[in-house]
Formats: sequence, C-alpha cells, structure tokens
Amino acid sequence: MIKIENLSVAFDGPEVVKNVSLELKDGEILGVVGESGSGKSVTALTLMGLVAESARVTSGKIYFDDTLLLEAGKPRDKALYRKFQGDRMSMVFQEPMTSLNPTQRVGKQVDEVLRLHTQLDAAERKKAVLNAFASVGLKEAETVYSSYAHQLSGGMRQRVMIAMAVILEPRLLVADEPTTALDVTVQNQIISLLQDINRKQHNAMLFITHDLNLARRICHRIAVMKDGCVVEQGETEQIFNQPAQEYTRRLIEAVPSRLKKRKSVQLSSEQEKDIVPVVQVRDLSVFYRDAGNSLFGRKRRHCVVKNVDFELYPGESLGLVGESGCGKTTLSKAILGINREIEGQVLHNTLRPQMIFQDPYSSLNPAKTVGWQLQEPLRARGAIDGSQEMTKADMEEAAYDMLRRVGMEEKYFHRRPSQLSGGQRQRVSIAQALITHPGFIVADEPVSALDVTIQAQIMELMRRLQQEMKLSYLFISHDINVVYHMCDRIMVMKDGRIIETGRTEEIFGAPREEYTRLLLAASQDRNKD
Amino acid sequence: MRYLGKKLITLIMTLFLVSAAAFLAFQIIPGDVVTSILGTEATPEREEQLREELGLNYPPVVRYFHWIADVLRGDLGVSYRYSKNMNEMMPVTELIGDKLPVTLWLAALSLLLIMAVSIPLGVLWAKSKSRFADMLLGVSTQAAMAVPAFFLGILVTYFFGIVLKLFAPGGYVSYKKDFWGFLGYLLFPALSIAIPKIAMTARFLRNAMLTEMNADYVRTAYGKGCSRRRVMYGHVLRNAMIPVITFLGMIIAEIVAGSIVIEQVFGLPGIGRLLISSVSTRDLPVVEILILYITFVVIFVYFLIDILYRVIDPRISEK
Repeated sequence: MIKIENLSVAFDGPEVVKNVSLELKDGEILGVVGESGSGKSVTALTLMGLVAESARVTSGKIYFDDTLLLEAGKPRDKALYRKFQGDRMSMVFQEPMTSLNPTQRVGKQVDEVLRLHTQLDAAERKKAVLNAFASVGLKEAETVYSSYAHQLSGGMRQRVMIAMAVILEPRLLVADEPTTALDVTVQNQIISLLQDINRKQHNAMLFITHDLNLARRICHRIAVMKDGCVVEQGETEQIFNQPAQEYTRRLIEAVPSRLKKRKSVQLSSEQEKDIVPVVQVRDLSVFYRDAGNSLFGRKRRHCVVKNVDFELYPGESLGLVGESGCGKTTLSKAILGINREIEGQVLHNTLRPQMIFQDPYSSLNPAKTVGWQLQEPLRARGAIDGSQEMTKADMEEAAYDMLRRVGMEEKYFHRRPSQLSGGQRQRVSIAQALITHPGFIVADEPVSALDVTIQAQIMELMRRLQQEMKLSYLFISHDINVVYHMCDRIMVMKDGRIIETGRTEEIFGAPREEYTRLLLAASQDRNKD
Repeated sequence: MRYLGKKLITLIMTLFLVSAAAFLAFQIIPGDVVTSILGTEATPEREEQLREELGLNYPPVVRYFHWIADVLRGDLGVSYRYSKNMNEMMPVTELIGDKLPVTLWLAALSLLLIMAVSIPLGVLWAKSKSRFADMLLGVSTQAAMAVPAFFLGILVTYFFGIVLKLFAPGGYVSYKKDFWGFLGYLLFPALSIAIPKIAMTARFLRNAMLTEMNADYVRTAYGKGCSRRRVMYGHVLRNAMIPVITFLGMIIAEIVAGSIVIEQVFGLPGIGRLLISSVSTRDLPVVEILILYITFVVIFVYFLIDILYRVIDPRISEK
C-alpha cells in the first residue's frame, strides 16, 4: 500500500538518506530501527511530506496506493499532500509537549483535523473529538478537551497526539519514537494503545525507534538503518535470531539486558562495619521554596525529598531509580550541597565530590576548548585552597593524562564541544569530573541521552575508571536495566521517599514493594526472551 | 482578584519610591528655589520671608511627608515659579490641567499606531517569500530604527506639512473645542514617534514568527493538512506575539519620553516644555506631580500589557 522506492534525501551537504526502499501493507507494523543520525526520522518525514524545505529529494519515488506522492526532481505537490495529511496518513511525534500548540486548547487542536477534512458541524465535531479522547483512554474527556498542553501529564499529552492522529482512521500511521520522552510505566500503556489501534483500525504503521527491545515487541517486520542506508530488513524474529549483518548484531548486543553477567563488589556485613562510608546521609529531607506567590506572604516550602537514609561505601556503585519527578535529581543536588534547603545530615568523607550530567550537549561550555574545560576544576581548586602547587604545565599534563584515560586521543585537546560526538562529549564530561581525583561521583542519567552502542561503551568506561581510580558512584537512572549493569546496590525512589533498598540481585530477584515490581515488569516486557 | 490586589500594591509602592527619589534628587542637585525666584539681588529678609511662605524651613523629610499628605488630600500644591496674579500663587492643577492630556494623547496615539502598523507588517514580512521585499523591508526598517525621533519630526513636518500640506505646522486645536481636529494635529507628531518603534516591532515580530515556524507544533499542524496560511494565522501568530508583547511593554516608557521631546518639535502645548523649565527653575511641586503622573501612566500601561500577556499565553497565570 505504501511504497518507498530508492529514496535519497540530501540537505546542504551529502545525502542523509541513501537509496532507501520500504514497503508497507495494510495492518502491518514496520519498525525502522537505528541510532540517531541514521536517517530514520528524515525518511519518515519525507514520506509524510513534513521534511524541512531545505531538503532535496535526489532520487526515488513514494507511492500511496497508486498515487504518486513524491518524485525526485519535482517539487513537492503541497495541495496533494494536504489532502492526505491528517486524513489518510498521520504522524505521532516524540515530544508531545512541544508538538502541541502551547496557546491553544488541545480539544480545538484535534478539532482542526475534522474541520480540515470533514463537513461535520461544530457539535458533531466536538462529539467526535470526545469519542476519540475516550477511545485512546483519556478519562474525563470534557476536561481534557478544554485543557492546554501544559496542564496535562506527559502520557495524557501523547494520548491527545494519538487521538489527533487516528481520529479519521488513517490508512498509514507514522510513529517517531512515540514513547522515548515518557516514563517507563507510561511507555507501556502507550505501546499497548498503539497496538490496539493497529488491530482495530487495521492501519499500516511505520514505527521508528532506537530501542530494539521495543521494536521487537510490537513490530511485524524490522528495517535496520545505518548512515542513511537500510542495512537489513526482514521478519522481526529472523532479525533478532539470525542477524545477517555485523552492525545489527552489535546493535542487539549493545542493548542492556538482564541476561548478561555483571561483576559486583561484594562486601560482607562484617566488612561493612569496619569500612568508613564515603557518604553518609542521615534522615535527609530536601525542600524547595515557591517563588513567592504574594508580595508579603511567606514563601511556601515544599518537601520534595523525605527522610532519606543511606550510606555509600568505597568502590561501590549505588543505583538510584525512579520515574521522572520523583526527586532523584533534587536528592543528588542536596548531597552535593548545590541545594541547601535541607533538614538532616550529609556527611562526606571525600573531598570535592563531582557530578556527571545527563546532557553532554548543554553541560559543556560551547565556547571553550576541551583542554581548557578539563583544567577548569584544577584552577578552581587552586583558587579555593590558595594552593598554587600546580603549574600551568602540570595542569596541562593532567588534562592530557585524563583525556587518555577516558579513551580519547590527544588531538581532541584543542577541539570545542561542537566538534565532538555525543559519546565523546560525555567522555569529556567524565574526564572533567575525575580530574581532581574525587573519591565520589554522582552520575545523573549519564547515558540516557546516548545511543545504545555508545551507552554500552560509556558504561564500560565508567566501570573501568571505577576500578582504576577507586571511585564510588551514586548512579541515577530511570532505566532499571542500566542500573542493573552498573550497580551493586539499588535504591528505589517514589514520590520523594526511598521505598526499597537492597543488593541488585535481591531487588531484581525478590522485590518487596509493589512499585518496584511494577518498574521491573515494565522493563521486563521489553526484555522478554 | 488576588493578582489585581498585588498589582495595586506594587503600583502604590512604586509611586511612593519614585516620588521620594525625585524629592531626594532635588535636595542633592545644587541650586536654590528662593534664589531662582527672587534673583541674586534680594534682601536676606525677603529671602527669609519667602522661605517661610514656601515652608522651606522644615527639614526635607518633614516637607516630603507634608507634601504627600497634601497630595493624598487632593491638594497638589502651588508652583514656586508661576503665579496667577500679583497676589495669588498658581496651583499645580491649573498649570498642568490643559497640558497633560496633550502629552498623554500623543503617547496613546503613538502606541496605537505602533500596534496597528507593525503587527500586520511583521506578519506580511514573515509570510513573504520574495527576496526583494525581504531586502527592502530589512534596509528600510534598519534606516527607520537609526533615525532619532526629533529629526524624523522635522522630516515629517517638512514632507507632510510643507510639501504635501496635509497639516499646518505649528497649528493646534484644543481637545475641548474639537476633539477629532485635535487628534488630527497629533497624528503627524505621533507618526514621528511611532516610525522607529514600528520598524523595531515589525522586525521583532517577523523574527519571532520565523523562529516559531521551526517549532514542533508547526510540524504537527502541517501534519494535519493545514496550509501555510492556516499555520501562520492559526498557530504561529499567537505564539509569536508573546515576546512582542514583552517588547512593547519595554518601549512604553520610551514612547512617553519621546512624546515630551516631539511636542517641542511640533510646538504642541504639552507638558514637555513645562517639565524642562520646572526642572531648571527648581519648581519642585510641578516636577513631582508631573513625574508621578508619568510614572502612573507607564505603570498602568505595563499592567494592561501584563493582562494582555495572560490572555495570550495560558501558561503564565499558573506559574
């Protein structure tokens, strides 16, 4: 029904999509899998007629049934596309917050699809929208109808986006990473919803994802993309069980899975008594103040983290898992003294704990070279201690040394962050955190922004450095599989409280709390073998 | 309602602060009222008598609170400088009563012109795909932004007044006699104030719209099958107006200041000349009241803009 023939797309530079051919039948879910920059999104946007105007289609054709939608060398027929968009083909995007107009009520935004493609009057349209909301599992459809995007939760927003996409029962539904921006438990609901819709409406679905487990769970067929080319295409199980290409195999292996072995530091309870913890947290509560609602009124204090107790031992990795908004980052900031609205105690037995951040794109200064940024903590230390024992040459030597340790060549010393890839940037962030030789590192979602193969490399690096430099990690993540690989012990956090703490094996083998079981089940679904 | 109350308190506090600052400034800058009224040749007895009459022998703080108390009772005081006749001092109310509306109407008309012209211009500019139009607008707005308002005033007088004879330069009708005629006379001065700001605002709106065009929700709108026109007017415009409203708020004070300058160029009987001469003759009661009025107007317009902001962007009221 959909036929993409030999499609190539280029922006200003070289082609980002090269000779891609895909076919889709009614009712079929085709997964397009690849890492960021592999051209999967550009392919989908070109199919949908939504790719930026600066894109040139250098070869190929796209057919919708017998209609020729797009042909290389000819300008996009916008009038023709408009008839299809929203009616016969529609798209669900990754980030539902920004994909909805922030200043228009969401009901009206869904209503617009009907206004554009049907002759229904206002009352009929409203009824249809409310029905669509109900069918995607939005309770209190009336309330949702008159809400703005910022008043809804992430999951609800994505349901609104899906309702908007499927209200006219399109033959083709393109979903571009529809769950990536959502919490684990919500992710599963959205995936089930998409599967339901596919079964009921029998639409062809192009499902774009970087998550192989997810693709395996819902797709009938899978196409693997790399550097703009489709390197492998076939039935889902065939791809997973007998990958023909080396790249596909690597991609499958890189996915953190619970079946792979992990070495862990084991301390007996005897040893624990003798060893001085790196960090002790005693009955810690963290607050944040409202930005002052009234002119004279007292600022209200909200308790974000409640009565947290734990210890971190030398050489240990302690995982902190929980969904976004549960207080993980707030807690870590309080431990590092960035947030001072606290009650309780934090005792450090190391000097200058450091932090590794999630987004290596925004956490490095784009205007300074890698070498300069690596030396910054050393200069700052001199300024704090008043000790000037390190000369400029010493600092430079230390920076070069650190660069080598994180597996980067010396030539990167003089580069700026914009000239580095995501993985390289995260290596620089790690080097920057380690250059003062701290004993304790807080890593806040350090691999979440990275592709799977890079994720595996960075985790490997962090483990190696932990042994070489005797580090203790507080490892924060929403991805319980990543934590499984990295950590000796795990703390599960919910609504500001630590609800369960235990050895990784205990938590995974015999979780005590219902919520932990839910988190595990949510990721297990995607990991079934 | 709570929001309104909060705003009101802020307004009152700002007025107090501004009046105190203006009062304080007069204590610090050199120059003596008595000398400036009587001249340097007056006898010490006469000087002393005048000081007594004007209540200048009290300490500054006391004088300030006396003055505030009078203003709150509705008594705006008398001018140090002007007198009604030989025996009577000129009340400030009478002195500025006719002049203030001229300046305020001039500022209001300028603001209206700015909004009425710059918004459609900015939208059309953002919509236009013609390179020529883009370049033309780019250059002309750049030029308009660079010209100072008073010089523009001279150009407008020459071109519209003397060459095209659309208005009589120097002419004026009182708003009490003929309101529309009065507005007609204000139109060209307002234009002189508005042109640079129109250029800025149109440019700003155009850039905001082009930035918004890259937003994710625009892609969603296209994905629904919206035409470019529909995307522009139905989705982008309102979001692009948010920074523009902020920008308009920032130039309000400039517009009021601009009207004081421009009414000099066009010979309008506004408060401009009075304000300047009152400052140089240390006519404190007049200056204080004028400053309070201007502050009040500026803050009030800020307030209106703030409400507009909330109407346009639903996210604001919940932060």
